[in-house]
Amino acid sequence: MTNKKRSHQAEVLIEGMAEKLNRQIVGSLVACVHCGNCTRSCHYVLTNPDDPTFAPAYKADRIRKIFKRHFDWTGRVFPWWVGAKSIFTVEELEELKDIVFGKCTNCRRCSINCPMGVDYATFNRMMRGLLVSVGIMPEGVAVVSKDQWEIGNQMGVLPEDYIDTIEWMSEEMQSELDDPTAVIPIDKMDADIVYTINPREVKYDPRTISDAGKIFHLAGENWTMPSEGWDMTNFGLFSGDDALGGAVAGRVYEKAKELRAKKIVISECGHGYRSTRCEGPNWAGMDVEIPMESSVITMLRYVREGRIKVDKTRNTKSYTFHDSCNNARSCGLFEEPRELLNLVVTDFREMYPNRSENYCCTGGGGAMSMSEYTPLRLKSAKIKADQLIETGAEVVVTSCHNCVDGLTDLIKHYNLGMEVTQLVNMESEVNKGSGFNVSIPRRSIALSSNDFK
Amino acid sequence: MSEALHFAEHRLQETALLIMAGVYAVRLIWLMRFKAGKERQAPTGLPGTTKGKGIIYSWANIFMPWSMESARKHVLMWFQFGIFHMGVTAAIALSVIIPYAPEVLEITLITTIFQVVIVAAFIVGIMRIIRRISIPVLRAISSPDDYFSLILLTVWFFFAAFSVPNRWQEGETFLLTYFWLTAFFLIYVPFSKISHYLYYPFTRYYLGKTMGYRGVFPLRGTRRG
Repeated sequence: MTNKKRSHQAEVLIEGMAEKLNRQIVGSLVACVHCGNCTRSCHYVLTNPDDPTFAPAYKADRIRKIFKRHFDWTGRVFPWWVGAKSIFTVEELEELKDIVFGKCTNCRRCSINCPMGVDYATFNRMMRGLLVSVGIMPEGVAVVSKDQWEIGNQMGVLPEDYIDTIEWMSEEMQSELDDPTAVIPIDKMDADIVYTINPREVKYDPRTISDAGKIFHLAGENWTMPSEGWDMTNFGLFSGDDALGGAVAGRVYEKAKELRAKKIVISECGHGYRSTRCEGPNWAGMDVEIPMESSVITMLRYVREGRIKVDKTRNTKSYTFHDSCNNARSCGLFEEPRELLNLVVTDFREMYPNRSENYCCTGGGGAMSMSEYTPLRLKSAKIKADQLIETGAEVVVTSCHNCVDGLTDLIKHYNLGMEVTQLVNMESEVNKGSGFNVSIPRRSIALSSNDFK
Repeated sequence: MSEALHFAEHRLQETALLIMAGVYAVRLIWLMRFKAGKERQAPTGLPGTTKGKGIIYSWANIFMPWSMESARKHVLMWFQFGIFHMGVTAAIALSVIIPYAPEVLEITLITTIFQVVIVAAFIVGIMRIIRRISIPVLRAISSPDDYFSLILLTVWFFFAAFSVPNRWQEGETFLLTYFWLTAFFLIYVPFSKISHYLYYPFTRYYLGKTMGYRGVFPLRGTRRG
């Protein structure tokens, strides 16, 4: 028996673990056979081949050993035999923080390559949440979480700034389309669609809002944007804080319900789509009756139904598509973005591997807000850079704002000279008689991780 | 047959099996006491992807080496896995056949098949021990239980291979050792990583259920462009 004194934070963390364990997590914690199959699936391992501490099983064991020591029988009786070990000091908690936040983007590539079905990302997120609950987290996580709690969105956009931006984009739309009815409605009741966005669009790239607005308008959609509950992103996914996750998602659902909207459409954002569409109801403990979909699916439907017309000959550059981990590996959104992209470009080149096996952009899991891990992130991005180079494409398209930032960073770092864009970021040119034609995609604004300091 | 061998073949195995079953039952009750997470949202993914299909796909995943990149890119490792586990099955079956249906082992073809499978598994066991010791990442993730479990099974295969002909008249050493190792194995298993086969249906069930519901399973191939 050890006489080592445990810090209060470590005590609270262990107690918190008892509350958070569910059957799926416990299964993942007990089932690992240390076969090492997960090792070769991780972009961190592939770019740091001589360092075994990047292996998913190794990282997972930093959490598993605590579980075994406190909750598993062999670990309680013969801890050294099964690698069980408790946690005591703040220094150990800080080391754990660097592993769960700094060495994993929760991309789940290891999970789909594990023969036992161990879902490491799930309990990695659990540990993030436990560390956050005792105040141990990267500074960027603390700042963004605070903004999302207090102001209602993760970039601290004030309500008046949001409304001003929407109204400004509305005026731009009217001017561009030369149509006084081309407005962005705010808080319209009984709309068929309430459109929710990423605050990054308000702060850094408001033209994506008007681009979406044009598409909705030209498709003849009965739509609106909400005055509040408009942020579909959710830092609770990254921080592991289910309470934050539930509160943020709940705001979106409640506002849509208040407006009596028939559907919530989520702009292109991987973690936002996953959080709002898939995880939010579970975090909030709510059954959400209003259907939800990604704007990719909405746009595709418009094209299929002939509500908007596209002309692929307007986009003659070479394009490839990056699957956002949260869209793809956690929500099954692979084919719709491809179908839409193939409708608007002439030269589409698949990267390899793709779909559920695609590599992380390395900017996921909140990595873009954790500047202390930037050098490691950019080193691990070499795998992605090699994927992009192999395609020979001039432009990489993705359906996720985080991926836009992650890809932009690595393209700059590795001097790839490629553009990054999203499906909605296609500049529209109106043909008043027959819908709109899609022309050259506009480059999205590059974002440095310094913006999060 | 000596009394010692008879005891080892019957009473010892039955007792060890009962202990193992009892411990497993306790373990399963413990696992089921944890609340299962619930999915409240509507399903995602393409039409036709369902929870049920995801579960079946997930359970069958290990038999489809083309479906997981880790197996597809390292097919020899997958074959080794198969041989090793077939060896375990054969060696366990042997512990039931010898005491309760020894006439089966009078058929030459059957004994040959058993010995080939178990010897192959023994060779794979040796390869796995070498691999676990020599590869840095495997060393880094291995606990004493990992090494001991692998050595135990490999040694067990050795004695099982010699026990297959069941010729106790010519000497009982291998048979006695085999049955004592089996009993020890049965009692040790619930407390070690070897019990992973108990958890396999659960972990694959829950992963498959979620991924099927979300349209991720069945995994779409990478379809090189």
